[in-house]
Amino acid sequence: MTVDLDKFKKPGKDYYLALGLEGSANKLGVGVIKHNLGQLSSENRAEVLSNVRDTYITPPGEGFLPRDTARHHRNWVVRIIKKSLVDAGIKGTDLDCICFTQGPGMGAPLQSVVIAARTLSQLWKLPLIGVNHCVGHIEMGREITGANNPVVLYVSGGNTQIIAYSRQRYRIFGETLDIAIGNCLDRFARVLKISNDPAPGYNIEQMAKKGKHLVTLPYTVKGMDLSMAGILSYIEVLAKDLFSSNPKKNKNLIDEESGELITPEDLCYSLQESLFSMLVEITERAMAHVQSNQVLIVGGVGSNERLQEMMELMVNERKNGSIHATDERFCIDNGIMIAHAGLLSYRMGQINDLKDTVCTQRFRTDEVFVSWRDD
Amino acid sequence: MSLDYKLKISIPFENNNQAEIAGNSLRPDPILKADEMTVDFSTDNEKLICYFQGVSDRVIRVAVSNVLDNIKTIIECIEQFEG
Repeated sequence: MTVDLDKFKKPGKDYYLALGLEGSANKLGVGVIKHNLGQLSSENRAEVLSNVRDTYITPPGEGFLPRDTARHHRNWVVRIIKKSLVDAGIKGTDLDCICFTQGPGMGAPLQSVVIAARTLSQLWKLPLIGVNHCVGHIEMGREITGANNPVVLYVSGGNTQIIAYSRQRYRIFGETLDIAIGNCLDRFARVLKISNDPAPGYNIEQMAKKGKHLVTLPYTVKGMDLSMAGILSYIEVLAKDLFSSNPKKNKNLIDEESGELITPEDLCYSLQESLFSMLVEITERAMAHVQSNQVLIVGGVGSNERLQEMMELMVNERKNGSIHATDERFCIDNGIMIAHAGLLSYRMGQINDLKDTVCTQRFRTDEVFVSWRDD
Repeated sequence: MSLDYKLKISIPFENNNQAEIAGNSLRPDPILKADEMTVDFSTDNEKLICYFQGVSDRVIRVAVSNVLDNIKTIIECIEQFEG
């Protein structure tokens, strides 16, 4: 990187502070990040001053609806911002800018948070920076893991994309053609009435560890893209059969080798294995295409250790391969990643006027001009 | 369709600056179904004036409830973080 990140520094101040507000789905996150002057490098890492999150958790069997999620965010946003500033030990007026998620995500929750961002920006006389949620994940993952130019697998409740950087854009090499992988897992959890606390995907992962029998599921890789809606329908039928009082003599519900009954744990295990194999396949192909040997996994599903393990098996078979993943603090939606990515664009001169702070549900990763990189 | 239903609500703040901040925070978001509904925000000294015009009382009700929800967030922010 040779871009100058300090063209807009404040005289007499050798660091930047940014507040990040994230509320594109059921997590409300607020964080404060600090950058020192100069290029970010292994000797000059971004410093996380605070990272607070509150998750809207629905009862088992239910998903989160936009209206209710927005209400949750509105109820909590000011308290979470306050806690974040206290944790960081700073005042609002110490900040350089306020960053917020501009999309993609659910409309009502996004809007409920940007209202707070606009108000704070005027109270503290600070510029607003709109951030693409996916770019937030990518930049935070790069910063935390030190992966310089990885192939990025972005897997969450709303997105499934395989991304590589080229000429100042994060380009999407492959993605889901229908539902996101996290959505597939969450909706399967609803059928089995698995708890949403702390997250349905986490609970599936724990159940899958006890699974023994692999049930054959559809495998739907389409070139560089994936399709998961059909797999979900298929496994939903199997799961419903498990609970039916009059079980049909369905051979899928008995393991062919051992003759044992298939359990919900087996289904969780089988679903994870099938879906993650598909991800590993397209990731490997993307690595071959861009001749990269680094993989970075970001997004909520990226905190799944089985996915990390399967990816590692593939990466280790490639020459000089390395895999980078973060833990739940940075994988799952958070405010700090919005602060980090927003601060990078602020340092390059991006500022959103109030009239340009409208959130949008659709905002593709490759729409963002990555001004802070020029490799 | 003519916007025959009208409603004006006036929300008092502590001073004109607060009312301006509230108006500026509310104004950018576009109204869904712009052909059925318009909302204008203005200030009158310390008061924020929200003027709703719509094709039915139903669309006005939805818009008012949404604006009030947003104003609650704004007031909470001002209360906690002003100065």
